[in-house]
Amino acid sequence: MQSRIFAAGFALLLGIASLAAQEPKPAVRQTRTLKVGDPAPDFSLPDQNGKIVRLSDFRGKQNVVLAFFVLAFTSG
Amino acid sequence: MNNYRDNLAKFRELDAQVLGISVDAAPSLKVFAEQTGVQFPLLSDFKRQAAAAYGILNEERGFAERATFVIDRDGKIRAIETGAAAIDPAGALASCRAIR
Repeated sequence: MQSRIFAAGFALLLGIASLAAQEPKPAVRQTRTLKVGDPAPDFSLPDQNGKIVRLSDFRGKQNVVLAFFVLAFTSG
Repeated sequence: MNNYRDNLAKFRELDAQVLGISVDAAPSLKVFAEQTGVQFPLLSDFKRQAAAAYGILNEERGFAERATFVIDRDGKIRAIETGAAAIDPAGALASCRAIR
């Protein structure tokens, strides 16, 4: 009985150790249509104040972080 | 967007422009920006064209998946993060630092 409990405990520890040893997932480098290195598709869209923003507005000026989020009033 | 809001100063230090984007209508984004205190543009991709072009439109549900693209001054994509990785701005910050 004792040895069974010990074995079960050992297995549990092994499981925890293997979880901890898992490498973090590498960053995804592509989507269905684009991959790193591709030209970014231009867009022309209104912002929250109605001002039209184009990706090409930033060409030659600034790097852009384009953060798609799922829906307003949700986290993330 | 709260993580990006909280890290906006770091992106600004790196001279990177943060743009949020979703399929919400602009008036919804205005209220959302006011409630959350987001200080960067939130773009309304109401017709889903940008989400489709960037390959992250969830066609079944009609909205964009969570994804972040770092785009350099030449208009080239330098980093892509999707899902949970995209919620944490650390990867995008590192990419901006690398191409600064």
